[in-house]
Amino acid sequence: MRSDAFSKCHPLTNFLFFLGAIGFSAVIRHPLYLLVGFLGAAGYYLLLSGKKGWKLILGLIPVFLLVAGVNPLFNTYGQTVLFTVFGKPYSLEALCYGMVIGGMLVVMMLWFGCYSIVLTSDKFVCLFGSLIPALSMLLVMVLRLIPSLMKKARQISDARKTIGKGAGAQSSNGEKLRDGIHILSALTDWSLEGSIVTADSMRARGYGAAKRSSFQIYRMTLRDGILIGLMAVLAACVLLIGGTQAEYTPSLSIASPTLALAAYAAFLMIPPVLSAKEAIAWHISISGI
Amino acid sequence: MKKTTVCNLVLIFLLIPGTLYLGSRMTGRWYYATSTLMIMETMLPFFLAFETRKPQARELVTLAVMCALAVASRVVVMIPGFKPITGIIMITGIAFGPEAGFMAGAISVFASNFFFSQGPWTPWQMMAYGFGGFAAGLVFHRRKHQNPIVLAVFGFLTILLAVGPLLDTCTVFTTGSKITRKFVLAVYAAGFPYNLNHAIACALTMLLFGKPLLSKLDRLKTKYGMMDVREENP
Repeated sequence: MRSDAFSKCHPLTNFLFFLGAIGFSAVIRHPLYLLVGFLGAAGYYLLLSGKKGWKLILGLIPVFLLVAGVNPLFNTYGQTVLFTVFGKPYSLEALCYGMVIGGMLVVMMLWFGCYSIVLTSDKFVCLFGSLIPALSMLLVMVLRLIPSLMKKARQISDARKTIGKGAGAQSSNGEKLRDGIHILSALTDWSLEGSIVTADSMRARGYGAAKRSSFQIYRMTLRDGILIGLMAVLAACVLLIGGTQAEYTPSLSIASPTLALAAYAAFLMIPPVLSAKEAIAWHISISGI
Repeated sequence: MKKTTVCNLVLIFLLIPGTLYLGSRMTGRWYYATSTLMIMETMLPFFLAFETRKPQARELVTLAVMCALAVASRVVVMIPGFKPITGIIMITGIAFGPEAGFMAGAISVFASNFFFSQGPWTPWQMMAYGFGGFAAGLVFHRRKHQNPIVLAVFGFLTILLAVGPLLDTCTVFTTGSKITRKFVLAVYAAGFPYNLNHAIACALTMLLFGKPLLSKLDRLKTKYGMMDVREENP
């Protein structure tokens, strides 16, 4: 996982961008917006995850085909009937609509893929730590405990193997289940006893005595302010200029593109443009050496 | 307590119908956005209640361990596709009450999604799993003795009839062009085998692990004087 220029911005900037990108992609069903959204999301996802990114993109093709193909079976309001399935009309309009719905789902999944890479758990806690202190504390502890419990589970499993217990790859499902429950049982005892020690230590150090401060590694800079302002203006353009309407059934009626489409594209281009700017600045600075 | 009650009433009587009204008035496709906002608004009172009563360290850590245990249980049992997570969430609800059950469900899937991927389904999963823990706590928390077979049947039915269909409802709103009754039924039918598998895993976990885990938690309460966890924070 690479970190690009946008990932280094303040978590609030990241969060607002994804709120906009995912929100628009979930709501607007105009085909051109969909295409722009797909290019933006797929491009950024590839930028973030490199060649590995193709795996998700290719994996989404069957999802798209399934949603696009199945929808007309249940949406029988289209005018141009292509053929009939089980006595129901399978229309061109409904197929178009199905393709748009499938596309919207794909774009949303891609944005969520980017979100997962950019907005890591520490950024999430940094954003919401002061708003919901107890919940973010809980989340942080869970996130830290998961790998630790998995490690403990492996230790227990290994220890059981040394005394000839435990299930291997060729054991029956019943044996595997019984073995799993035994490990889980030991793991529970181990981790719950540990939790009391942790809790007492937390209390001894004054947990709950005063307002919790949280570790802040990210700082709001001028760049973040400018980006947030820019995103707000562009999002307002998309919302206010309009031209995002599209109806598919019973007949196609798609609004002609307006300036809002350009604003939408500009909004989605923010992360790649930041990366490009940084890459150019880098090349200029090393060429001067 | 007063403050949260007022918050809850405002949320339920103003925010949710308001969202529904606005969602129906907008142009575009607002099924997913409206329904997901409503799911989030339904979860908000639980989170607010947890936040305002300022949980003690012991409660917080124990809950965190239960959440992490629920997530880690996936790798412990080596049968592919076998997910004991909801079983453990429900047992947490039974041991510590419906509210803790909800938190365990919602937080453990949210945390688990940081390791896999967040997606359009995240709020729905949080709600569905949280509901599982909440329902189990509501039904069994006050009872002294638990019968593992009753627990298993309860887990099986709750997953099959509530948790699974709630997750499938997310699929309805993300993949349907026209939400017709036939389409909804088709999605539920397609989700049925998956939900059945999930329900069996939950029932087996409750049957085999319910009693031992509950007695472990009881022992913890007596050993460290945690009996007053509930009374401390009514």
